[in-house]
Amino acid sequence: MLVPLLFAALPAAQDPAPQTASAAPILSHAELTSALNGLASSHPEHAQVLAIGSSRAGRLILGLEIGAPTRARPAILLVANLEGPRVFESSVALAHAQKLAEGYATDERVRGLLDRATLYVVPRANPDGAEAFFSSPKQERAATGAGVDDDRDGRQGEDAPSDVNGDGAIAGMRVLDPEGTWILDPHDPRAMVEADPSKGERGAYGLWPEGRDLDRDERVAEDAVENAMVNRNFPAGFEEHAGPSGVFPGDEPETRALMDFVLLHEEIVLVLSYDGIDGLVEPPGAVSGDPPEGVLEDDAKLYAELGKRYREATGNGAKNVSNQAGSFQRWCYEQRGILALSAVLWEIPKEAAKPKEEAKEGEAPAAPPSDVPPAEAPSGEAPIAAAEAEPKKPEREPSDDAKRLDWIDSLPGEAWRFLEWKAFDHPELGAVEIGGFAPYARVLPPEDARAAIEEKHFEFLLGLGPALPRLEVADLELEPLGNGVDGGNRLVRVKAVVENAGLLPSLTHAGERARMRPGNVKLVLPAAGTLVAGRALVRLERLRGAGGRQELEWLVQGPSGMEVGIEIDSERLGLVRTTAEVSR
Amino acid sequence: MIALELLLAVLLQEGEPASVSGFPGVAAGVQPRVEIPWNRLVDDVEIYARLDRLAEAFPGFVAMEVIGASVEGREMRVYTLTDPASGPASEKPAMWVDGNIHGNEVQGAEAVVYLAWYLLENQATNERASALLERAAFYLLPMVNPDGRAHWFHDAHDANSSRTGVQPIDSDRDGRFDEDPPNDLDGDGHIVQMRKNLPGEGTFRLDPDDPRILDRVPPNDKGIRGDWIFLGDEGLDDDGDGRINEDGVGGYDMNRSWPSSWRPEHVQFGAGPYPLYWPETRCIARFLLAHPNVAAVQSFHNAGGMILRGPGTESYGEYPRADVGVYDALGSDGEKMLPFYRYMVIWRDLYTVYGGFVNWTYEGLGIVSFTNELWSSQQDSPDNRLQGSDEDQHWLDDRLLLGAGFIDWHPFEHPLYGTIEIGGFRKDVGRVPPSFLVEEMLHRNALFCVRHAEAMPEIEIEAPILTDLGGGVTAVDVLFRNKALIPSRTALAAQKKMGTPDFLTLQGSGIEVLSGGIRTDRFRPELVTLAEREPEKLLLEDGLGSRAELRVRWYVRGTGEAKIGFTGEKARGVTRAIDLR
Repeated sequence: MLVPLLFAALPAAQDPAPQTASAAPILSHAELTSALNGLASSHPEHAQVLAIGSSRAGRLILGLEIGAPTRARPAILLVANLEGPRVFESSVALAHAQKLAEGYATDERVRGLLDRATLYVVPRANPDGAEAFFSSPKQERAATGAGVDDDRDGRQGEDAPSDVNGDGAIAGMRVLDPEGTWILDPHDPRAMVEADPSKGERGAYGLWPEGRDLDRDERVAEDAVENAMVNRNFPAGFEEHAGPSGVFPGDEPETRALMDFVLLHEEIVLVLSYDGIDGLVEPPGAVSGDPPEGVLEDDAKLYAELGKRYREATGNGAKNVSNQAGSFQRWCYEQRGILALSAVLWEIPKEAAKPKEEAKEGEAPAAPPSDVPPAEAPSGEAPIAAAEAEPKKPEREPSDDAKRLDWIDSLPGEAWRFLEWKAFDHPELGAVEIGGFAPYARVLPPEDARAAIEEKHFEFLLGLGPALPRLEVADLELEPLGNGVDGGNRLVRVKAVVENAGLLPSLTHAGERARMRPGNVKLVLPAAGTLVAGRALVRLERLRGAGGRQELEWLVQGPSGMEVGIEIDSERLGLVRTTAEVSR
Repeated sequence: MIALELLLAVLLQEGEPASVSGFPGVAAGVQPRVEIPWNRLVDDVEIYARLDRLAEAFPGFVAMEVIGASVEGREMRVYTLTDPASGPASEKPAMWVDGNIHGNEVQGAEAVVYLAWYLLENQATNERASALLERAAFYLLPMVNPDGRAHWFHDAHDANSSRTGVQPIDSDRDGRFDEDPPNDLDGDGHIVQMRKNLPGEGTFRLDPDDPRILDRVPPNDKGIRGDWIFLGDEGLDDDGDGRINEDGVGGYDMNRSWPSSWRPEHVQFGAGPYPLYWPETRCIARFLLAHPNVAAVQSFHNAGGMILRGPGTESYGEYPRADVGVYDALGSDGEKMLPFYRYMVIWRDLYTVYGGFVNWTYEGLGIVSFTNELWSSQQDSPDNRLQGSDEDQHWLDDRLLLGAGFIDWHPFEHPLYGTIEIGGFRKDVGRVPPSFLVEEMLHRNALFCVRHAEAMPEIEIEAPILTDLGGGVTAVDVLFRNKALIPSRTALAAQKKMGTPDFLTLQGSGIEVLSGGIRTDRFRPELVTLAEREPEKLLLEDGLGSRAELRVRWYVRGTGEAKIGFTGEKARGVTRAIDLR
């Protein structure tokens, strides 16, 4: 009987913080479209709009090609907002694109990157999901694709989440329920934790998304209209017969459009993604298996090195799932051999923010308080566990949600992130409470942190230029043999060395496995020259980074002074020509 | 002899022959409306033309729709076959039958056409044929790879080439696409083999009994060497890279492109960059997803005499036992209907296949599905003194085809190899039967489809038994029965929650369904698994199994007309009226 009293005493929810102008504003689809078009038209030499495809709802998925006036090979593909709720990420990608397109003329480092690589930027790969940010009621829309009959009642999408209390947001509902499996976190009764029966805990609450029980099956908001998620619909690790995966790999138009774009652009050697998947804070380790899934050993070292550079450049520690089944990132790496660097730009912290004056650079974060009550304990009421007859310390560690609430509580401007539980008379369930984390509370960084996140990630991006594989003719030697033959022709031994001057290999281990085309070396002779020994076209080997070499040799015949050329021709890495003259 | 001549006269004659008494297999006394020479294999245009003629001859029974286009723009046509008088195809259980996903495996398309022809020609006079078209439908797509078929017929090929589609693939990864195909050096329309005579320097010698045959010289220490070397398929080094015929047209396998147990190219050759990458495969997948009434699948390939089922890979594990029982029943019937064919599990008895079509239609869509490999070379040599050796093949070709199947070795000046000889079996020998055996192959395989189609689920509702329980409450006991071998939902479909579950319903304006559920004991009516909610609409995730009976008890208040019903994706909906007094 204590419990309802406790809720009645909770403070009123605060209104979500309005979006104000910032360094990286979050744009609607229409605004983003015009921003991309505007960028291309004001920098025609450096930026060009790309139509990647159409979303399921028919929104154009747009990208930008950004580069030097003569576009360089290889290319980096920056993809953001594959996951619907990651709208901030699209702003960061757009800001990067702006800086690159504007900076070629003035910024040496931008030029340094774009002279080496073309950038393809797809700031919003999932425009349907992102548009929910601007919808009313506000909600996070992770699934945008094919629906399934979640509750197996023969109807699909008949009981979707909705804004039951009309507060403009779709949040959560908790309801006292003897069959429920949830309890209040003793550290913070706003947070919910699953009861652990092995510790004698008995569930007291049912926890649902905010919604009705329209199909009257005593389950709430359990059959959404959409189930498939774009970033689980790729063929690597695809989970068949799982709703979020979709009907078959590539069924979602966004998924397929992105794959077709990558297939069309063999020059993409690196993918940088801003979404809910991390592969930089915790780089993936080498995985074996038959067939092997995950990162091959040679490539794991590359991920580790790039991860280190990432952490140094950004200081970011935000992690999330890695190795997501059916993700774009996994498809790029496992099936196309493209290194896929995945960054989670921001996650809601799980500790109270430190007062600004105390925060010193390089200082290790303080351990979160484990057993102190939350900063603003509601109305002096003790958490439920403490209210029992025998007062004792909670056995549990504070839940992650309780820790997130600590962070929210420590920053007054962030109160919008939690909608205080409010009693509501639900048409099907009766007395419930509606509240919980507000839509986007977990993924949208504070306004004052956004510019810095963008800047640090831009630093990391600029730093990728020198890391890219770069093929050079390190040596071209023409050695005449003997003293010449009739007609002034000479027999010449041609020796060439092709070298990879970049950090990354010319082809990843996975790329070699995927039979990506490595490129060729051609021997170019004038009409007067003849190839005597060797093949005119030699396939490149996989050249490791930092000086991996391939030696080539031919015998040619031709007059003194003849020009002999070597041409490295790679769809992926570009065209390099060098010539030398047979000595007279 | 006279009968044969008469028959030939009929087959060769255009239009309506005056008086013919039919022939075995088509009902006696019936003149086929469409004469088709079943001893011939024909190109893509003629395959469609044959089906179009059937559509014209049997108005209403055949509907054609174009569901997509091949890489080269050929139409992907589905011909829907059903008796329109008994309702549209979409309301009936349907069987999907296709052929020729591998361009060179041509006779599957003829088998699809034969199936349509045989059912249509017989529907007026044969009860089984008319009943099948009344209760079921067929979706027939004769050519999954019409481009491959067209090229196999019209360009130079061998028995194994033109398997792929024609989208260019850089098979040798040199930056150029399809630039080094086999070359028909002598322009005879066939790709055969090259050999060169090098006295004392070769690894082969001519068979002393038949110089058309090269025998490998066995390893020996007697200093004996051969006089010939074998140079492989007829061709040139078109791209000058030192290799011959290494980058021909296409270079992929559309039967590795389907989404269940799909693996990328480095695990499964031919898979393509993602499942259903090729337009031919994608439009078929879309069609099947849009037609949940498909309850049986047959796909025709060649060759080897096999009735194949999944799994394609060991790692998948075995299919649920109940479904294996259905497969085994159909598979063993198939073995008996198709002499020299064996019923086999793909990975265990043949080889590992990732992303095969029938794997997807069962594992992804929950449909009992077979692949038949049409034609076993044992069929033209059932005598066990012939074992399929090179000598035996020549023996048969010489006697049964007057040697027409073999292109004799003849000299050719090759730009790289100098004087060589070119020769070998034609493209239409080995994987397709000789003409005199084509019809038997088509008939037996088409009738295996009929066997499979007749096994599609069919539900009936027995007359209900009403028991007055007092207090105005009536117990309504109903027996639902699946008369057919195939369950209304396969065990795998139920396990993976594919599609929509079946429903058993009781509705009536004057009645209230108070409770109800599935009875668990035929003798004890009080043992009922009560539905938690909506008792008037009982949900059946498991469907009605193979020849299964399901007893339902409803507790009803009220009087008047009511209707008992079954609805499901793969069995036709049925209703039965009852009168509650």
